[in-house]
Amino acid sequence: MKKKISNKQFAEALFAVTDGLKGEKLNEALHQFVLLLVKYHKLKQGALIIAEFEKYAKKKSGIIELEITSARKLSDTTLNHIKKIFGEQVESIEKIDGEILGGVKIKMEDKILDASLKTQLLNLKQNLI
Amino acid sequence: MSTNTIVNELKKHIAEFEKTVQVEEIGTVIEVGDGIARMSGLTKCQYQEMLEFPGEVFGVALNLEEETVGAMILGDFKKIKEGDTVKRTGRILSVPVGPEMVGRVVNALGQAIDGKGEIKTKQFYPVEKIAPGVMTRQGVHQPVQTGIKAIDAMIPIGRGQRELIIGDRQTGKTAIAIDTIINQKGQNMKCIYVAVGQKESKVARIVAKLQETGAMEYTTIVVAGASDPASMSFIAPYSGVAMAEYFADQGEDVLVVYDDLTKQAWAYREISLLLRRPPGREAYPGDVFYLHSRLLERACKLNKENGGGSITALPIIETQAGDVTAYIPTNVISITDGQIFLETDQFYKGIRPALNVGISVSRVGGSAQIKPMKKVAGKLKLAMAQFRELEAFAQFASDLDPETKAQIDLGTRMTELLKQPQYSPMPVENQIAVIYAVSNGYFNKFAVKEIADAEKKFIEFITKTKHSLLDKLAKGDWDETVEGELKEACSEFVK
Repeated sequence: MKKKISNKQFAEALFAVTDGLKGEKLNEALHQFVLLLVKYHKLKQGALIIAEFEKYAKKKSGIIELEITSARKLSDTTLNHIKKIFGEQVESIEKIDGEILGGVKIKMEDKILDASLKTQLLNLKQNLI
Repeated sequence: MSTNTIVNELKKHIAEFEKTVQVEEIGTVIEVGDGIARMSGLTKCQYQEMLEFPGEVFGVALNLEEETVGAMILGDFKKIKEGDTVKRTGRILSVPVGPEMVGRVVNALGQAIDGKGEIKTKQFYPVEKIAPGVMTRQGVHQPVQTGIKAIDAMIPIGRGQRELIIGDRQTGKTAIAIDTIINQKGQNMKCIYVAVGQKESKVARIVAKLQETGAMEYTTIVVAGASDPASMSFIAPYSGVAMAEYFADQGEDVLVVYDDLTKQAWAYREISLLLRRPPGREAYPGDVFYLHSRLLERACKLNKENGGGSITALPIIETQAGDVTAYIPTNVISITDGQIFLETDQFYKGIRPALNVGISVSRVGGSAQIKPMKKVAGKLKLAMAQFRELEAFAQFASDLDPETKAQIDLGTRMTELLKQPQYSPMPVENQIAVIYAVSNGYFNKFAVKEIADAEKKFIEFITKTKHSLLDKLAKGDWDETVEGELKEACSEFVK
């Protein structure tokens, strides 16, 4: 039985092949990659493979992606302050969610750092009962 | 306490409260099916770890794959949707255990469903646990009195044994288990009845019957009903045995009835197929044997150093048209220490409990019988075996030699004696007395039809006049003087 190749594996392969290529050679590599996808009937998965590729490329080049949720819009200084804690190359998506009442909730890959007021209050409630 | 002190107390608590940042590992739901979910993320998730879905719904991680985690959902899965965030809890599924559980009806997670309020226990036990090892165990040596003549005499069950009750639908499997529970009154035994995939009406009837007979005082009922998700049916037996393990750890004896394991296997098959595990024979997954063996292996008799507690398991399996060669019945027969086989034919012939004594066996219980029962049952077993061989000739009764005739006659009387109505368990000393009387020919002057009546009168007579003899039999005394007394009582009654 032919082993199924996952989207992640395609993305990793693409990264390995295209890393450091430029101009005509990059185009050729991409052309070959698309042909490979056709051969494996994976064209439909294209968008997903690109998403995986993006994730993988960012990880390889040391970029950290954050999703910062706050109750109100944060000022640029605060945002920069938060970003600095996590490293130099940080890309962030800001979200506003009134339900967390205050504080911030930072999502990083598959971890959540929860410093929201809502969770604190819930903890306090449990402590008191 | 004045208002001020309360306010101060609260202030103190609030001041003491430390703000901490919670770090949680999460995943995202990518697929939801009937009672299962598949998630991405959760990279450090462990096998059988509890996962928290939004809305306080919990799940158990069962499939850890390269990219995804497959989990079964315990509870309402309809509110879970794609894209939901799932949190790791770092805990293994556990159920509340303790003396507070006795007399209650709970679901597979140990939550009360009898409307008598929340159960507040001090301890939790993991649902899945490795069975006690060789060095902590001891041979089975004490009896479990089922109160059913045919079983206590011919297929004895010991404390710590696993005895399968197998048969078609409507042959009285549950009846045997319930009678056994009812008969445990005053026998120093805790009972746990696990109903898997049963109709709620049937469970309600059982609860009512146990309450009526006072058996709920030492019984816990774990229910995973027919309308509950498959995951509940799958874990209910494990929850039941976890509750039993608590009592066994305290040095008590516990009886657990799993009614029935066929439905648990169905539930597990359903979950496995939904999680896309490869199907095997009868579409069951490859580890369906382990499903039952790890459950029944937790039945045990612990040695003195480990408290001396025991867990006796009475699993029930339902067969289709008497076919014991199907996958699940053969598996469970090979795991257990014997089986009680019930047959539709016997049931409609009026032989109830509808035991097939020929193929029912108990592999270890014999060493747990009390001495007088062992002596009396030996004769009974032999007579029944001879009777089975000669039964085919019974219709030519007139052409048979007197010896064969006598054997057939004894056999029919024995069969008549072993009939017993539901919900009427009999104390072991009475059983010994009547079996002795019949097998030694004292009842020969009664017609076969009158045996049941005569039995009743005999027991009435012997309890009234020979109480000390019954006490001796109950204690397990058996020598020539006791036998002599019994003989005397029998002849006195027949006169």
